[in-house]
Amino acid sequence: MAGAAAFCLGAIALHRGEHIDSIWLVLAAACSYATGYRFYSKFLAARVMALDDRRATPAERLRDGQDFEPTNKWILLGHHFAAIAGPGPLVGPVLAAQFGYLPGTLWIIIGAVLGGAAQDFIILFASMRRDGKSLGQMAREEIGKVAGFTALITVLLIMIIMLAVMALVVVNALKGSPWGTFTIAATIPIAVFMGLYLRYWRPAKVLESTAIGVVLVMAAIFAGRSVAQSAALAPPFTLGAMALAIAIIVYGFLASALPVWLLLAPRGYLSTFVKLGVILMLGVGILFVRPELQLPAFTRFVDGTGPIFAGKIFPFCFITIACGAMSGFHALVASGTTPKMIAKEGHARPIGYGSMLLESFVAIMAMIAACVLQPGVYFAVNSPPATVGATPAAAVETISSWGFPVTVADMTGLARDVGEQTLFYRTGGAPSLALGMARIFATSGGGRALIGFWYHFAIMFEALFILTILDTGTRVGRFMLQDFLGHAWKPLGRTSWMPGVVATSALIVGAWGYFLIQGVRDPLGGINSLWPLYGTANQLLAAIALCVATTILLKMHGAKYLWITCAPLAWLVAVTFTAAWQKIFSPIPAVGFLAQADRLAASLRAGAALDPAATQALIFNARLDAVLCGVFLVLVATILLDSLRVWVGILRGTLEARVCEAPFVLSQLREEEL
Amino acid sequence: MRRLGRFILALLRELADESAYQRHLSARGCPHSAAEWRRFSEERQRARCAVARCC
Repeated sequence: MAGAAAFCLGAIALHRGEHIDSIWLVLAAACSYATGYRFYSKFLAARVMALDDRRATPAERLRDGQDFEPTNKWILLGHHFAAIAGPGPLVGPVLAAQFGYLPGTLWIIIGAVLGGAAQDFIILFASMRRDGKSLGQMAREEIGKVAGFTALITVLLIMIIMLAVMALVVVNALKGSPWGTFTIAATIPIAVFMGLYLRYWRPAKVLESTAIGVVLVMAAIFAGRSVAQSAALAPPFTLGAMALAIAIIVYGFLASALPVWLLLAPRGYLSTFVKLGVILMLGVGILFVRPELQLPAFTRFVDGTGPIFAGKIFPFCFITIACGAMSGFHALVASGTTPKMIAKEGHARPIGYGSMLLESFVAIMAMIAACVLQPGVYFAVNSPPATVGATPAAAVETISSWGFPVTVADMTGLARDVGEQTLFYRTGGAPSLALGMARIFATSGGGRALIGFWYHFAIMFEALFILTILDTGTRVGRFMLQDFLGHAWKPLGRTSWMPGVVATSALIVGAWGYFLIQGVRDPLGGINSLWPLYGTANQLLAAIALCVATTILLKMHGAKYLWITCAPLAWLVAVTFTAAWQKIFSPIPAVGFLAQADRLAASLRAGAALDPAATQALIFNARLDAVLCGVFLVLVATILLDSLRVWVGILRGTLEARVCEAPFVLSQLREEEL
Repeated sequence: MRRLGRFILALLRELADESAYQRHLSARGCPHSAAEWRRFSEERQRARCAVARCC
């Protein structure tokens, strides 16, 4: 298996000048995962963590029928995978494909096997041995109060940026698209109907209501074509980027303040099932169609001049793809619900390590979906007008001059096929991913006649679960803020006090809404500045998780197994600190926020700015992004230094290496109970 | 095939919180009712919103 993995990786890495079959990527990934799972995760489970099935887990010891409940390992694996699989592993690889298929693919495979899966597994194990404690609680107990408090602030800030960037992806996918906007708008009354159905008509029949919801959503996609072709109905659903951004901000506020059962909960169920179904369909479709990769292994943009986002392959490829390789957010999930439901310690291996490998495989499928597009089409869809030219003719000329031929007629024909007015300047990754997925689905069944349906099906799938992240994320952020502000003034901490709920909801929505509007106004398309900021922040959160994991391993084994977490931690620190430094201080305006602000200020002083007020706002935004990036760096550096203090103290013997695990209790759980 | 079908159904029921609701009823020893479902659902969603979701 290891030989097959090496052979396939060699094939995708060494082929030049010819198109390669996507099955090579699938095989390289599958064989690498199998090898990593068989050997590395087994080593971690047996030697490092010493998982012991005789030891009762929190699910057994603290069993309450709700949070703590021993659960079948395969069911829990599905549950955990559904919780960690978000839009990140789909969008990140699509954007990183601007460097070619190879760098992103290698990072997804190697990063997941040696870094991401190990991180998830160790954090899951640590939380399981500590009665299901959260990452913040473990940081406070294992490292210190400073680390715990800093981790809380970091998570809140990262969530704000994440919500803004995800909302921007939806805005860019739906702008000027009556079909897509109608379909997504229709999911709101469908979710409300499901909520009412579950609460009043058929309580507890979640599967039944979700099945009805799925049928209604499919009907909405079919109806979307008629809406787009109707002279009367199309205009209200043909919205510009700013109108869509405002609509999403209003939606986020309502979803955060409305009762959960009405919108958030049914939408969450619908999104989970659609997400898992589409991922499965995409996997089967790729195996069935085996499309050829059209993008080269490397593009000229490894030098940092990329039109989608600026910056060299190092470090920007490695922060653009976060969730598919390593993600800090997974550590939050691995220290949330899952450790409270593990029946046997041995189950942590397939659930912690195995789920991350599945997530990584989703990222590989997204990479394939992006790379099966003609490179000219890929760049025409994903590039903003500021980098390729403000008219379609100028855009195709610029893109063709890079060696990726494309014509206006190609783009017009493609847009007509998928029922869109235009596919130029659809930045954010979602439309190009939808095009790739539609091509794979249409080849599997339906042909060109159904490509429009499949395109909008893919857009609906992406937007649906991004909006689910938005509404739940806003509510989570509100809870965190209320928890935080409650220390200053008690009523603000009460989740039942309506003025507090409204005020904190408005604060959270206002924060991510500000960055969303900033992205919409950004002449480089927003993704250029916000996605690297989000990727850096997410990887910094992974660095925090690895600090906690390193401290725990150090307390358990001394320096013997430090390399397991220190190697990925050192890589992440190098990547994220370099990326953050470049985003703040690079003299290239497309990369550095301060250089961008200086260039705009110079144009303002010279009287060359067309709209001085808008330019002033852009200058402020660029400086704000620089400050935010700096704050992230300071927060993570604080945790890193605090961790180093503890590590040095333990190694020198000046600090007690006390492991905060729950005491051993013999398990009474029988296999047949699961 | 039957085992696979059972597993898929069990997974769907777990994802849909239907199994969790059955456990809730068993733990409390109370029968299913609309009011009990609402109580369970609200507690479940409140707990779900207390932890960050992945991107």
